[in-house]
Amino acid sequence: MSTASIAASIKESFAARTPLRIAAGGSWLEAGRPVRAERTLSLREESGVTAYVPADLTITVRGGTRLSEIEAATRETKQWLPLDPFGSGDGTIGATIATASAGPLSSNFGLPRDLVLGLEFVNGRGEIVRAGGKVVKNVAGFDLSRLLTGSWGSLGVITEVTLRLYGSPEADRTFVIHLGESEKQITSLLRALVAAPLSPFAFVLVSASVSRALHLGEDPVGLIRFGGNSAAVKAQAGGLAQIANTEEIDSTNWQSLREIEAGSHTSLRISGLPQRIVAAAARILSDDVRGVFTSIDPRRGVIRVVAGSAEGTASSPEIAAGIERTDSSELVFEKLPADLWPTVSPSVVADPLSQGIKKAYDPHNILNPGILGDLN
Amino acid sequence: MTQPANRAESSPVESPSKSDLAAVLAEIVGARHVLSRPSELLVYNSDGLPGYRRQPRLAVFPGTRDEAIAVVRLLAAEKIPFVPRGAGTGLSGGALADDIVVVGLHRLKKIISVDVENRRALVEPGVVNLKLNRHVAAQGLLYAPDPSSESACTIGGNVAENAGGPHCLKYGVTLNHVLALTVVLPSGEIVELGSKVGEKDGYDLRGAFIGSEGCFGLALDVTVKLTPKPQTVRTILADFMSVNEAAQVTSAVIASGIVPAALEFMDGPTIRVVEDSIYAAGYPRDAEAILLIELDGPEAGVIADLETVRRICTSGGARNVRVARDDAERMKLWQGRKKAFGAMGRLAPHLIVQDAVIPRTKLPEILETIHRISEKYRVLVCNVFHAGDGNLHPNIAYSADDPDESERVHKAMREIMQSCIDAGGSITGEHGVGLDKMGYMESIFSETSLNAMCELRSVFDPERRSNPGKVVPVHSCREWQGVPAVRRAEKQPTPLEAEPSRPVA
Repeated sequence: MSTASIAASIKESFAARTPLRIAAGGSWLEAGRPVRAERTLSLREESGVTAYVPADLTITVRGGTRLSEIEAATRETKQWLPLDPFGSGDGTIGATIATASAGPLSSNFGLPRDLVLGLEFVNGRGEIVRAGGKVVKNVAGFDLSRLLTGSWGSLGVITEVTLRLYGSPEADRTFVIHLGESEKQITSLLRALVAAPLSPFAFVLVSASVSRALHLGEDPVGLIRFGGNSAAVKAQAGGLAQIANTEEIDSTNWQSLREIEAGSHTSLRISGLPQRIVAAAARILSDDVRGVFTSIDPRRGVIRVVAGSAEGTASSPEIAAGIERTDSSELVFEKLPADLWPTVSPSVVADPLSQGIKKAYDPHNILNPGILGDLN
Repeated sequence: MTQPANRAESSPVESPSKSDLAAVLAEIVGARHVLSRPSELLVYNSDGLPGYRRQPRLAVFPGTRDEAIAVVRLLAAEKIPFVPRGAGTGLSGGALADDIVVVGLHRLKKIISVDVENRRALVEPGVVNLKLNRHVAAQGLLYAPDPSSESACTIGGNVAENAGGPHCLKYGVTLNHVLALTVVLPSGEIVELGSKVGEKDGYDLRGAFIGSEGCFGLALDVTVKLTPKPQTVRTILADFMSVNEAAQVTSAVIASGIVPAALEFMDGPTIRVVEDSIYAAGYPRDAEAILLIELDGPEAGVIADLETVRRICTSGGARNVRVARDDAERMKLWQGRKKAFGAMGRLAPHLIVQDAVIPRTKLPEILETIHRISEKYRVLVCNVFHAGDGNLHPNIAYSADDPDESERVHKAMREIMQSCIDAGGSITGEHGVGLDKMGYMESIFSETSLNAMCELRSVFDPERRSNPGKVVPVHSCREWQGVPAVRRAEKQPTPLEAEPSRPVA
């Protein structure tokens, strides 16, 4: 397969008005609103590194390249792509960019929109479009890379992506933070942690259910990761120890945290002003519902609720509703059982600008139709 | 030699006469804030790139958000094209209006609110970048994008251009620091893009708007992210007796994985012109290149990285590696860099600046190529640029009144640009396409890619009235290809069109 053959295939579907389901690794197929499609367009073969000059700290890969392949390719040269979406390393870069999925590292390294330098996609008429470039700074033309990032394959099929890389840190250490007993205690500790001059690679708070899954005890805890040169990491760890009761743990816990979601039925994200999220964190963490995994990124201001069982799925929209009522925030559903979609979230592309863009890029609505909600 | 490029895209409808239009606009904003006499409009004839001049028909300066909305709605009702303008410091001819209306937004300069706890601010588009920074400094915060024109340029203009600056190497460009925008579309409709409180799903319309160079409408307010001031800052000045060594050291610092807050390059001619000016920073006059490298963050990490950078510089051939002792010395080192373009005014009355970006490993090779081109055309190229992200600013001071010199300068610049494109680079890193680089768009984007940009623009501005004739050549837009009037009217400015112009201040 090549971009040209994908373009030819989409051209054919455009002529015949055949709706397509875009798929690659297949680990994201449960996410998004149900897609009404007759055929699947697979990018599974569209994988591999197209260009990688380590000293430029940029990499160009095909859309179907698995995150684990990128990790392997860059590890050899002591570099990494600090993009850790929830789920397994089997997920592809195309799906990660298309869904704008981000994990704990994003509060330090940015969201996918911040790491993408350029991309190639095929629109709903089967035309090949290149956006951005391969250099780290670029304002040539209107920003189609940002437009495609998070468009869930509904504006174009991402066939190639150029990303910014970082040097692997000399030291990379993770600590578990024991948060304390009462909500009051937890809240004041969190305020102190957020205000402290610490610059961790990642910092999340997890509910008791997650602690149990990670074998970190029976209570909600914080996980914090410091990276950089050894002196910096040592100083940061020292600073942390003055504020909180901590213990060093293996950094593989981050991978385990991401993988909790691999088999989930439901995942949703509530984001709000960071201080509000901090204020609500203790209460949210104390709500220990079986089968529901909650994690909070206090710096990014994001609460993530994941349900891994039927029992959890039934209660997660209620959790979301409870938070939604008390805080001014944004609520995003990533995964839901199909029958729940119409009840919880209307289309997110119903505004005239989004519809105009969809109609321009995919005039026959053949790319993942319905995945972001229906057009008017 | 005024070309009608701006008018090209708008349909020639019956418009009200200039005096009628001035009168209705005056009813909205007050007569003092409408300019229509050619002498009054002179200052709006060009932007920060004085090689281009266009005479606006009128200029209107709304003083409130409601006035701005009313002006846009009036222009929509009359189908009159317009150009949004901030401080006019842009370097791509992007804010020029060819016999159409300039909507100047510098009077909308309120910092509406600052949320220290959540590190964000809501500002009007005319707020000057540095004023916002001064306003939040006491709270230990800063607004990270720092274009060299920060003391004059506005946040609205920064959004339009997706502006960068030296510290974007570590902190990212405007795109990475804007959370939400309220926009008035050219139709007069008001939309909220992005989210003031969190992260939305759906298409990233905020991302699409940032860097749209005034072609998608104008921002009425902008919610920006503020960044805590770093605990420690260290600024290093390394000087070299060869350009190539400085370029190799740049590549080595980047390859080491350390992300400096800034990594700036100035070559010998630039050093000397700065040292001769009132912005003299104490750079060694006999050096062929200097690097200004800034590291920031928690203290222990900065100190360790400082030693690594020092080692890379020394083993790469640096003659001296000096670390600024205090803030005053740091400021002085930075002032020389930030005012370098201004200092060029000493060399000749006119200046051409480029903004190409190249892969960082190509730096030594491209600098060598630039040197060769400058000898071939007998022009003096000064290189002062953001080396850390490969964003070059070769510039040539010359006299546009000398036709032979002008021709050599333009040929040299075209050849430099072509070599950057051939190296896999981009035609602009932070200045925007505007008028100046439109002629290069087809050398880096395919027809379908340019058409996709046209389609996006048409969604925001179906009548193509907001900053017409900029960014994407009209003939690349499929839907316009069949319109003979448009085809006839379209006259692309040649890149680096030569015109006598004022000196750079």
